[in-house]
Amino acid sequence: MEPVNERELVERCRRGDEGAFQELVDGYKDLVFALIARTIQDRSRAEDLAQDVFLRIHRGLPYFRGEARLSTWIYRIVANVCVQERGQQANAGATLSLDDTRAPVRTPAAADRQFSDLELRDRLEKAIAQLPAQQRLLVAAHYLQGVRYEDLAEALRMPLGTVKTHLFRAKQQLRRLLEP
Amino acid sequence: MFCDEVLETIELIAAGELTASAPLAEHLASCHGCGAALAAARRVDALLRSRVAPAPPANFSARVMNRLRLARWRGEQVLDWGFNIALVTAGVVVVLGLWMAMRQSGLVIVSSDAVQMFESGMTLLARRISPSLPLYSAATVVLGTALAIWWWAERDAAL
Repeated sequence: MEPVNERELVERCRRGDEGAFQELVDGYKDLVFALIARTIQDRSRAEDLAQDVFLRIHRGLPYFRGEARLSTWIYRIVANVCVQERGQQANAGATLSLDDTRAPVRTPAAADRQFSDLELRDRLEKAIAQLPAQQRLLVAAHYLQGVRYEDLAEALRMPLGTVKTHLFRAKQQLRRLLEP
Repeated sequence: MFCDEVLETIELIAAGELTASAPLAEHLASCHGCGAALAAARRVDALLRSRVAPAPPANFSARVMNRLRLARWRGEQVLDWGFNIALVTAGVVVVLGLWMAMRQSGLVIVSSDAVQMFESGMTLLARRISPSLPLYSAATVVLGTALAIWWWAERDAAL
C-alpha cells in the first residue's frame, strides 16, 4: 500500500468509517494471518490471534502517530502477539520436538508431487517449530513477499545487523536440523 | 582460506547477498565439507522461498468486523449501566441530603406528618386496586418482556 493511501485510510478509520477499517483488514489479512500461522503453527489458534491483531489495530489507531509506516506498526503488533502467545504456551508446558505428531500448517502446493519433497517440507516445518519464537517470526516474515530486512528492523526495533544475524543463525540451525 | 572462515559466509552466499570471491570460490570447489554446507544452505533457502503462505479463511474479514461490533456494543452497555447507576446514586444522595436538611431544620416533624398521610393514602389505594392485582401483575410481565425483546433487538442491530 502506498504511504499516501495509508495515511488517508488511517484518517478515515479514525473518523469511524467502518468501511475504511474493513478495507484495512482486507488489505493486510493475508500478511497477518500468514505471519502468525507460520509462527504459531496451530491454525485455529492462529485465526483467533490474527483477529486479535486487528482488534488491537482498531484500538490503537487513535494513537498511531504515522511516524512509521502502517505496515511496520502492524508487524510490531503481530510480533508482540506472537511473543505473548509463545510465553503463554511456555507457561502451559507446551513442548515441541521433531517427532511432534501435530500436523504442521501448510497448504498443498503444485510442487508437492513427490513423497521425498513432501517429507522434506514436513521436516522443514517441524524444524522451524524448534526455533525460538523470534527467529521463527523473522524466518516467516523475511520469506513473505515484500517484507524487507529494513521493515523488520524497524518493526522489531532492532539494528539491521541484528536482524540479519538472527536470520542467518536461524537458517544455520535449520540446516543442522535437516541434516540426514 | 580456512573452513571456519568460509562457513561464516555460507548463509550470505546461499541467500544471494554475497558473491564468493575467487579464493572463496576456489575453497568451496575444493573442500567437500564447505561445498556440502553451501549446497545444504541453498536447499534450505530454496525450501523457505517456496513455502506457500497459509491463507486466512474466506470469512475472516466478516469475523473481525463482527468481533469489533460486539466489543463496541459491550462498551456501550457498560457506559449505559454506569450512567444508570450514577443517576440512581445521585437520586439517593439528593433524597438523603433533603432528609438530613429537613431533620436539622426541624421540618422532619412536618415531613413525618406528610409521610404518614402518604402512607395512609397508599394503603387506601392498595385496598382499592388489590382486586385487580393479577391484571396489573400480568401487565407488568408483558411490559418487562417487551423491554427485554427491545434490548435484544437493539443488541442484534448493533452487531
